[in-house]
Amino acid sequence: MRTSMKQTNKTQELLSAWEDTYKKGQLTLWIFLALKDGKKYVDEIREFVQEQSEETMSCESQSLYRNLRKYQHVGVVDFETREGNKGPDRKYYYLTDVGSELLETFIKRNINLFFNDRIQKLIK
Amino acid sequence: MKVFTKNLIYFIISMTILTVIFRYTLSSMLDAKLFWEVWIMATAYGLGAFFLGWYFGKKDGNDLPLYDIGFRFHFATYLICNVIGELWLLSDFHSKYENIFTVHLTALIWGAFLAIHFIFFLISRKKAINGIKKTEIFE
Repeated sequence: MRTSMKQTNKTQELLSAWEDTYKKGQLTLWIFLALKDGKKYVDEIREFVQEQSEETMSCESQSLYRNLRKYQHVGVVDFETREGNKGPDRKYYYLTDVGSELLETFIKRNINLFFNDRIQKLIK
Repeated sequence: MKVFTKNLIYFIISMTILTVIFRYTLSSMLDAKLFWEVWIMATAYGLGAFFLGWYFGKKDGNDLPLYDIGFRFHFATYLICNVIGELWLLSDFHSKYENIFTVHLTALIWGAFLAIHFIFFLISRKKAINGIKKTEIFE
């Protein structure tokens, strides 16, 4: 009983460490998926990421802004300004042609692997 | 690569003000023969310049992490210090204990270090896309 408890704790600890590392590289993919879904402003992107990842991914607005600035700077994301409900204008972000191509290629090379029969059986 | 960022512009403005104050105080102190106190004031100027660069440089990196190994801020500092120094002496605002040769010499020696920094900056650009380090774009 005690050994089993110890093992569960260890598994949780290792899982947390693995997930921390894994999630760091996942944010870009989730942001790009949010933008593929349609033009969004930062809060909508954050909501999309949290909902669609079933709360496994979370991101602060500040960190999203920083990432979006970088993506915009390298030309994979751009924004258009629309009037906000009450406050200032909102920036609605979208994937540029380069961004869409980048996401498509990334998915083909890195995500579609998980959908072959052999891997599907292993995951299930 | 984006060169002029909001924080770099704030740095240029505050550094220009600091340098003009420094030049004015330096000339006034030299005229008053406060030679020992000049060292204290020069150290304060150096520290002030360092903290301005540190503060705005850090903010700049948080906004957009341009991978320029500090070259934009160094180049801006070089231009501000030396252009104001040259203009100060050419406009005859200087004290009789200052001479233009010292200003030229400072620009020359500092310029050599700036040139070395520029070479490292050019090398560093190979690791970047649009000025952002490849490993930092999607992190």
